Amino acid sequence: MMRHLPAIIFLLPLALAICMPLLGMRKQAWCRPLAIIAMAVMALVAFVNLVGVVQTGGIHYEFGGWAAPVGIEWVNDGLASVMIMALSVMALVCVIFISSVLFPNLGTRVVHFYTLVLLLVAGLVGIVFAGDLFNLFVFLEVSALCGYALVGLAGGKALVAGFRYLILGTFGASLYLLGVGYFYAETGTLNMADLALRIPDLVSSKAVAVGILFMFIGLGIKMALVPLHGWLPDAYTYAPDRVTPMLASLVTKAALLGWVRILFWVLGAKAVIFQIPVLFLVGFLGAVAALIGAFLALSQEDIKRMFAYGGLSHIGLILVGISMGNHTGFSGGLFYLLTDAVMQGGLFFWAGALIHLYGIRTIHDLSRLREAPGWLSGVLVVLAMSMIGIPPTGGFFGKWYIVLGAIEARNYLAIVAVLIATLLTLAYFVKLFERIFRDRVAGQVETVRDIPLAVRICLGTASASAVILGLLSDQVIGFLLRTAIPPGL
Amino acid sequence: MKRQHDSLIVRTMSRMLIPLAQLFACYVLFFGQYGPGGGFVAGVIWTTSLILTFLVFGLKSPQGRLVERMLHGDGAGLIIFVGVGGLCLIGGGEFLNYQHLEIPGLEAAERRYVGIVLTQIGVAADVAVTGISIVVSLAFHDTQREYHV
Repeated sequence: MMRHLPAIIFLLPLALAICMPLLGMRKQAWCRPLAIIAMAVMALVAFVNLVGVVQTGGIHYEFGGWAAPVGIEWVNDGLASVMIMALSVMALVCVIFISSVLFPNLGTRVVHFYTLVLLLVAGLVGIVFAGDLFNLFVFLEVSALCGYALVGLAGGKALVAGFRYLILGTFGASLYLLGVGYFYAETGTLNMADLALRIPDLVSSKAVAVGILFMFIGLGIKMALVPLHGWLPDAYTYAPDRVTPMLASLVTKAALLGWVRILFWVLGAKAVIFQIPVLFLVGFLGAVAALIGAFLALSQEDIKRMFAYGGLSHIGLILVGISMGNHTGFSGGLFYLLTDAVMQGGLFFWAGALIHLYGIRTIHDLSRLREAPGWLSGVLVVLAMSMIGIPPTGGFFGKWYIVLGAIEARNYLAIVAVLIATLLTLAYFVKLFERIFRDRVAGQVETVRDIPLAVRICLGTASASAVILGLLSDQVIGFLLRTAIPPGL
Repeated sequence: MKRQHDSLIVRTMSRMLIPLAQLFACYVLFFGQYGPGGGFVAGVIWTTSLILTFLVFGLKSPQGRLVERMLHGDGAGLIIFVGVGGLCLIGGGEFLNYQHLEIPGLEAAERRYVGIVLTQIGVAADVAVTGISIVVSLAFHDTQREYHV
């Protein structure tokens, strides 16, 4: 049974997503508990899978029993099992948040809503496990299509943002597919392990180089790497507040993980296109993204938009980490990816709760937060510590290992970029804290609504896991170093 | 599109063409294991016949209502697909490994045959329903509404 766990993890959200219209049309009240139970079971199975991979090492799951180059395989190794664990836990917390009573009742549309959410999760699971370039494309599109629909769900401005996301996302997917086409034309295979054997002989081929570029730009749009990030801020600002945490913490990271898979497991860390090492290119763009993202976040007034730009800067930091070309930087980058998923989720939980409890949308309204319970600000302090990188939190250790990797690689510009991005992050959080703690403008006392239990659970889990990831960073990094290092790095 | 087409020629030709297209879809579906074709193509051909149905006879006619009712079978095809794959999983093989499709009294080769046909039927049903739902939602979409979520 152990070797079937990847398929079971994938089938749980998928099967429930299909059954949801059938079950939910009769009893709409069932949708919420069913979705939460499915996510909880998925998290449990993912944990069993992780333990299994730790004990026996990774496996390749062959669909239909056909061996790899002919059939389709899923890779269940150290990297995938850790990421699936993080993904399923974050998905569970996000689904709890989505179903909170804080938000307006969806009426009959609740059925379609949960179907989309569960399909999104299924698509993300597929991206993490995919061992085949075309499969990766399919699951990218499955998750992206659900993402477009979820963004546009709010109507009004969200429709425009969702449409923009759709156009740019489809453009990115087409570019990626074009790149896959070039690879297939040159090598005659789409399986990642098989490609990894054939690519080294074709390094001088222009078709392969162009294919790499197309894939990188395509996935760059999907992961909102800074020059290609146009869709993200609007989409996250106007998306329904209940789905933003899920999109922010999972979707862009999954695309980033897909690029890590291709870069290190297919092309190899030493890949060169047109005399430029791919790692250098990725690291350079990552550093630019880290700086510009943080800089743009500093100039925002809308809280959700500010956090969205903060997320852009963190995508850049992760890319800087993985592009250092040594084990320390790579595992630091992956660790930062895990932490960032938690932090982004937590920040958007916080922003969503504020909008619906107190009507606070912009930084100016934050002075009203003094009527709120103190722990609400405390959650933000913990998450901000992690975002900035202050010691007991996960964010600090992620940045620490990225900087250690940069020192090891003697890449001092990367260190400078990480430090400046950190200072800018500090600056925009100081802007928030100044409003919360220093502003003496007496806001009118709102009728304080009780904070729903589901929101408390989500905020508590997010801030606690930011700290726990920091405390357990040694073990997590050690595990990543043992199991998730790609061959040839 | 909401009412019947005016021209008698169009209506009569469609009466002949629609069953023919559906028959061809069935042929492509079951021939898919031996030659070009399969579930996806069959689904597309089936969709064209259904779209023709409500283009010509209108959505309010008995035929059109039948097509509209098919939209309720949204995930049915996918359920067949996942169900067959899941049965293989329960039988001890990988997902979609038809050899482990535990149907009593069948040889391994026959199990594969049955498995492939069932999966293809699932794919065809899903493609057909998706095609119609795209056309219906483009042609008869609601006026713009603001939702609160």
